Amino acid sequence: MTTTQADRDLVAATDVGDSPTATPTPRPLPADEVVLAVRDVRIRDNVGDREIVHGVTFELRPGQAVGIVGESGSGKTLTCRAALGILPEHFTVSGGTIEIAGEDIAGLTPARWTALRGSTISAVFQDPGSYLNPSLRVGAQIAEVVRVKAGLRRRAARARAVELLAAVRLRDPELVYGQYPHELSGGMLQRVLIAAAIAAGPRVLIADEATTALDVTVQAEVLDLLADLRERTGLALVVVSHDLAVVAQVCDEVLVLRDGEVVEQGPTEQVLYQPRHAYTRMLIDEHEQYGLERFLDADADADADADADAGTGAEADADADGGRAGAPARDREFDGVR
Amino acid sequence: MGTVRRVLGLVSGRLAVAILFVVALLAILGPLVAPHDPLATSPRTLAGPSGSHWLGTDNLGRDVFSRLLEGSRTSVVGSVEVALVGLAVGVVPGLLSVYLGRVFEWVTLRVADTLLALPFLVFAVAVTSLLGNGITQAMLTVGVLLSPLFYRVTRAATLTVAQSQYVESALISGASVGWVVRRHVWGKVLPPVMVALAYTVGIGFVVVSSLTFLGIGVQPPAPTWGGLLASDLGYLSYQPWAPIAPAVLIIVTVWASNLLADAIRDVSGEAGRALLNNRRARAVRATATTEPISAGGATP
Amino acid sequence: MSADDQQRAGDRPILAVEDLAVHYGAGRRRQSVLDGVSLSVARGETVGIIGETGSGKSTFARTVLGLVRAGRGRILIDGEDVARHKPRQWQALRRRGVVQYVFQDPLRSLDPDLTIEDSLVEPLLVRGMRRPEAVERARAYLGRVRLDEDLLPRLPGELSGGQRQRVAVARALVAEPGLIILDEPVSALDSANRVGVLEILKGLRDSGVALLFISHDLGSVAGIADRIAVLYQGRFVEVGAARDVVNTPRHPYTRLLVGSAPTLRSAAAARARREELRALLRT
Repeated sequence: MTTTQADRDLVAATDVGDSPTATPTPRPLPADEVVLAVRDVRIRDNVGDREIVHGVTFELRPGQAVGIVGESGSGKTLTCRAALGILPEHFTVSGGTIEIAGEDIAGLTPARWTALRGSTISAVFQDPGSYLNPSLRVGAQIAEVVRVKAGLRRRAARARAVELLAAVRLRDPELVYGQYPHELSGGMLQRVLIAAAIAAGPRVLIADEATTALDVTVQAEVLDLLADLRERTGLALVVVSHDLAVVAQVCDEVLVLRDGEVVEQGPTEQVLYQPRHAYTRMLIDEHEQYGLERFLDADADADADADADAGTGAEADADADGGRAGAPARDREFDGVR
Repeated sequence: MGTVRRVLGLVSGRLAVAILFVVALLAILGPLVAPHDPLATSPRTLAGPSGSHWLGTDNLGRDVFSRLLEGSRTSVVGSVEVALVGLAVGVVPGLLSVYLGRVFEWVTLRVADTLLALPFLVFAVAVTSLLGNGITQAMLTVGVLLSPLFYRVTRAATLTVAQSQYVESALISGASVGWVVRRHVWGKVLPPVMVALAYTVGIGFVVVSSLTFLGIGVQPPAPTWGGLLASDLGYLSYQPWAPIAPAVLIIVTVWASNLLADAIRDVSGEAGRALLNNRRARAVRATATTEPISAGGATP
Repeated sequence: MSADDQQRAGDRPILAVEDLAVHYGAGRRRQSVLDGVSLSVARGETVGIIGETGSGKSTFARTVLGLVRAGRGRILIDGEDVARHKPRQWQALRRRGVVQYVFQDPLRSLDPDLTIEDSLVEPLLVRGMRRPEAVERARAYLGRVRLDEDLLPRLPGELSGGQRQRVAVARALVAEPGLIILDEPVSALDSANRVGVLEILKGLRDSGVALLFISHDLGSVAGIADRIAVLYQGRFVEVGAARDVVNTPRHPYTRLLVGSAPTLRSAAAARARREELRALLRT
């Protein structure tokens, strides 16, 4: 995995060139403002004295979702952390720029960061339990965020916290408000954290492996919730996962990161159906061979009625006609869905 | 054994071992090389350091240096006794408390709690008055009272291992409890027990010194570090510097024991291997800063 | 063993669980985990048990392995009812190595202080095999999981996650078992390693070893299982051929599982449907 600097530059350059961000998505946007812009960001490990992330570029507008796929150590988490201004101590952004709602983070003061975090950019991570104080009721912890960030008084903050718990579709928000973290399941904890993350009405939410530790059905619930928030409130999402399918479910654009390099980037459809890089093809093959797809493809027609209420997904609209020669079997399935 | 080599790989480990080695040497050879008879009195009382009396003489004119050397044997033997008795009494029940069922576990836990609750100095005084005033009696008592430390350390280490997946998978393969203890548990329990042992040796020195300071466990003319300290303190106005020598000896020895305990803890187990690997990696990096190091990422 | 006996042994399932019930605690704190479940695994068959956290899937595996006491019912391992076995009988059975287990987390399932060789030969040494012979066999099975022999003197800490999980599989194999139970064997691994391990498992299946997968994710085992059993709240709500369970799930929970498994196809299509099923399961 050692590459020379020249190699990296070359790859980074071609990546930027290939980047299909140039082809605009046809979907009308609620607002044309870029809420998060990551441009050719490079991250360096100062102790190991090497570059870990070799140029990541993407832009996010309200209501959009970008997915980053990669394995542990691919640099996906570092990229997110850079955007949040919470890189571990010995890592630095060594190149490129990150803008949050038009503001370059390079010149941000700690005070300005505090103001931005939570109210403009926010995040949820993998292990929800460790982000909550086990000795405080979860409601109080959300109310605290509301009081600090929105400046509400105690009573108003409590009402707002219950509202937020309802907004993340917890069934009995009043009950959950008074519960302690250990009384909640992993899925419920992750919802509580999402509630806390959206408490101050951020424009961007970064979900870094937020569903990885959850059961599949619960994972789907949380992903549905994110998609729902995005549609209802125009929240822009950065979804980070090791599973291409998870990302594909929620995002319009996908970046495939490997050893710190973006090996593939484009609209979800394009990445799924015309993968260019061998690594992306491997990720897809894994699903084809060992996942449900193996049966779903073979019995696409039988399965069509199961997915009959398709069409709610706006995702399927983008780039529908563009070159499908690569995967006839898969296309059949997609036709079935329509 | 790997742990010994790794302990010696640390500067602190080497220092601790060196100091303890010198102290042990003092205990063995000290009385032989002592320039004077430690019990012989002379008219030159409370003399300052001189060519023939390196550390001066005490209130009865006895050579302080010779008394220190002679006293080191009692102190070292005493503290080692404390540690070994604690080890012998504590480790086996600690191990068995995990495997021998609830009743044994409950009983041993209560006994350990009880022993912990007893103030060992007072208890040692009581026992020596019962069994006769000897250092061995006193140290046996203190060792038994310190054994809960070994019991708890062993039990905690055993519990962690006993619930681990590799022990379960050994059991699933048909391994007996004896096999599991020999193969998986012992190696994990040994390092913390060694830490406790080194630490207890340190406590032992303090206890021997304290007891002999109080005059318990030794007959008056016999020299010990604690006894020297006590008698020196009586003549503080004549020789204000006199307590320094025995005090420094006690402090340095106890410190070295604790340092050794820390060193063993640092290098044992997974974390220890990681620590040493990191050091090695850093050393390599330092020697070849110009050459970029391959990340050596995980290959499938 | 006569030819007739052999014939019968061949027909007999390697594992048959009948009406198994397991509970934890007693009295008022008694909590039923498995409530009368039955499942059989034929020789050479690959079965996936799918269930969420708390469904009882791990308890099922641990009961079959004798780590948890069965409350009621029968567990036949290679024809021998083990549900009431005493520790000695378990030990004897385990030394025959009929059933082996691969843990989810390869970081913790190998003793960090033992070399790979020591870990691999352990199941053989405990049953009294001589070390040289055991090492010989360990070498052979290391090759079978596509690992190099020079890993033998290494410690688990020096191996990658994928390598370690392969060692864990090799460790299960050296006992030459009839059945391997695997608890989420690939969920802790990266894509490349996941494919590698799954390929090895597929090879095992083809060579006649029965596999019992335990997972929360239908998608992760559907591709290699012959049959799938869906465990929900301590009962099997659906057992059938993998293809049928995936394509025509009958129970609402199975339908939710299929609809929830992240696939490259689903997109957001099934969102409304999932919502419906969740509401249905709640009642």
